[in-house]
Amino acid sequence: MQKEKDNMPTSALGKKANIDQIKSVVSLGDKASPAIKDTNLDCKCAVIKSENFSFYYGLKVGVKNITMEIYPCSVTAIIGPSGCGKSTFLRSINRINDLIPHTRVEGNLLVNGHNVYDKNTNLVNLRQQVGMVFQKPNPFPKSIFENAAYGPRLQGVKNRSQLQQVVENSLKAAALWDEVKDDLKKSALALSGGQQQRLCIARALATRPNIILMDEPCSALDPIATGKIEDLIDKLQNDYTIVIVTHNMQQAARVSARTAFFCLGELIEYDSTAKIFRNPGKKQTEDYVTGRFG
Amino acid sequence: MRHIIRRITDKAFTILTGTSVVLLTFVLLIVLGPMVWRGAKAVLFKDTVEFRKMQLDLYNRGNPESLKIETAESESFRKTVYEIVDDFKHGIDTEELIDRTKQIYRQLGKELRYKKITDKEYQRIRLLARDLRDRLQAAFESNDEKIIKENIDYVLQYRLDENLADTAAVEFFTLAEDFLKAAENIDLNKRQQYAGSLQQVEELINRLLGPKPSDAVPALTMDRYGATRWDLAQKLLDQLLWSEQWIKQETGQPLVKIRVSRAEEFAGTKLEPLFGYVENNLNKMLKPEFTVYWQYFIDDSTAGHYFGGVGPEILGTLLLTLLAMLFVFPLGVISAAYLVECASDNIAIRIIRMCINTLAGVPSIVFGLFGLAFFVLFFIPLFGGPSEPCILAASLTLAVLTLPVMIRASEEAIRSVPQAYKEASLGLGASRFRTFVKVTFPVALPGILTGVILSLSRVAGETAPILFTGAIALGPVPKSLFDPTRTLSYGSYDIAVGDRLAMMVPHNQYGMVVTLVLVILCLNAIAIILRARVFRKLRGH
Repeated sequence: MQKEKDNMPTSALGKKANIDQIKSVVSLGDKASPAIKDTNLDCKCAVIKSENFSFYYGLKVGVKNITMEIYPCSVTAIIGPSGCGKSTFLRSINRINDLIPHTRVEGNLLVNGHNVYDKNTNLVNLRQQVGMVFQKPNPFPKSIFENAAYGPRLQGVKNRSQLQQVVENSLKAAALWDEVKDDLKKSALALSGGQQQRLCIARALATRPNIILMDEPCSALDPIATGKIEDLIDKLQNDYTIVIVTHNMQQAARVSARTAFFCLGELIEYDSTAKIFRNPGKKQTEDYVTGRFG
Repeated sequence: MRHIIRRITDKAFTILTGTSVVLLTFVLLIVLGPMVWRGAKAVLFKDTVEFRKMQLDLYNRGNPESLKIETAESESFRKTVYEIVDDFKHGIDTEELIDRTKQIYRQLGKELRYKKITDKEYQRIRLLARDLRDRLQAAFESNDEKIIKENIDYVLQYRLDENLADTAAVEFFTLAEDFLKAAENIDLNKRQQYAGSLQQVEELINRLLGPKPSDAVPALTMDRYGATRWDLAQKLLDQLLWSEQWIKQETGQPLVKIRVSRAEEFAGTKLEPLFGYVENNLNKMLKPEFTVYWQYFIDDSTAGHYFGGVGPEILGTLLLTLLAMLFVFPLGVISAAYLVECASDNIAIRIIRMCINTLAGVPSIVFGLFGLAFFVLFFIPLFGGPSEPCILAASLTLAVLTLPVMIRASEEAIRSVPQAYKEASLGLGASRFRTFVKVTFPVALPGILTGVILSLSRVAGETAPILFTGAIALGPVPKSLFDPTRTLSYGSYDIAVGDRLAMMVPHNQYGMVVTLVLVILCLNAIAIILRARVFRKLRGH
């Protein structure tokens, strides 16, 4: 911790409120210590908190006044009709939305107490802590090994055996190891869609994140592959905070502990999954989950 | 009904596209076919003994022993040609005859000085000899048979003068007798015409067979050998056998060109048999043989591309092209990366984009002048280099010329990399730079290589930009980047504008053009293979 403190930019040190944030794993300028540390797996503290968070694409509203808290070591599903801003919200958490020009945010979005939209945020560290799995499987056009080793390499791991260990662990964690262990040199593009998606999960796991964001991870997959991914999510929730955006309400009901319902950029209802699906508090939610709406 | 119409339109579309492809192929064949056919003659042709002599002298190739035998054989047939010409000249060439009389007169004077004779006698002989000389000269210069007869008779009456016996003056009488005979045979009025035509004949024989063995070796390399190629020899033979004349057929109409047989022109003279002899024995005099002159692609050439190959030109073209690529590749990719990845869409960037597009359409000669003004006169001297046209300046100019093409192609390639790859990389915590180097660039590489292929073809064939910045038509092989170089494109241009060069070395001109096409083809093939390999690696097969 002392070390991280030394690496803090002096401007940030001046703020009292930031002292606590230094403790968070999302630290600033922390290049000296690679994130591959067992302590980082301690996800108990990984909490996402949104306070009046709004996101605009130019003049268009992405999400508006979202206030919610996502609990650690559990699966939180975000459901809602198309264009309701659920992906926007998800992609704001690790600021991958920055790629889109002319965007603007209001309010706070805190990961472990640190505002991710603070201008001092170290994006590299943030994204290493908040892994992401995309809608379409997007492995790099490289070998399976290189795909899984991409994150660790970024963190400065050069040792071959160490890399192999990380790759093996993450592939095992993503339940892909048994299928590909014999040809890790094969191009990732030669894998099937479900395998590719699991490889993407393995790739995200290899950076040892605390949080995994999943943006409709099964929408491009067949039911069998979907089942495998869902099993994997179920297994991973013990160690990671998982936020999953899905169009498939059965999937949300199956995998998540809590569910948030978004509509037209606003958070309508956020409660335990059982309550949302069986006894929703709002009429809008009920219409949506029962299929009367949309 | 509607179904039928759809089928017809589909068929029509297929036929239309198919026809256009066939048409394109046809046009390509029409354009390239004759060019390649003529260009191939630079490498595949019938050579002559003169070619083998030249190869031995200039490039130290071939067997000297067998060549000596061959040369001796061909010389034996050539001897007759020289004899016929000499014989004819004897009776016809006024100037030579007059020169000869002057020589004889001078020699007589020398001889008389050593003779034991009295002063009075010496004076008399001297005067007599001068008189004979002048009479002979008058006869030689005259076209009037009467005057000739009168003068010759006057000379011949001293034939038995004992003072002149056993002196050089005896030759006066032989000359006089010979000339009398010649004058009876030929039309004296045609003498002037003969002299002109004879000069042409001698020059043609010289170009056909090379200089006479007895003559001194000419200073220019191109004059040292006769026709080195059989096709050239045939062309010269045609010129030897037929002369072109412009005659007036009707007043007010343009002159008409007719071909006149030289044998007819010289009919009845001693030169007449020459033409038949050369026509029948050219084979034996030149000994044509089929040859594959593959060294064309490595040989240096003599001045004016008269002999030899295009080795330095190929080297120069490759050097300029690859060097230009070396400059333009990183610059183009980095600029494109900035435009795609970093630049926001504001007015300044739009203006820059417009400039790039405009620059792509600027005529290349403008770049040539820019290169002269900027690189040659300003930029290179700024760093202590010589302010002269050189390879470095030329390749920099070419790089600037093709930069817009490269930027556009790279931009498209980088833009077409799926956003998903970038997001995945960024999502794993990679910086934007790292994402570009590790993910975007490798995926965009095939597209960027397409840009390289486009640029390569343009750069290798350009003439105008290197006109003032680094190309020379003739000169040594460059030793450093600060020397100018020969190139295929500029070489073709130079031969084409050299007034009579293109006529004399058509094989070389077409050969150079075809070589240029081949070089571009090879460079492209390499780039395409490279691209295919990168692509395959990306696909993982």
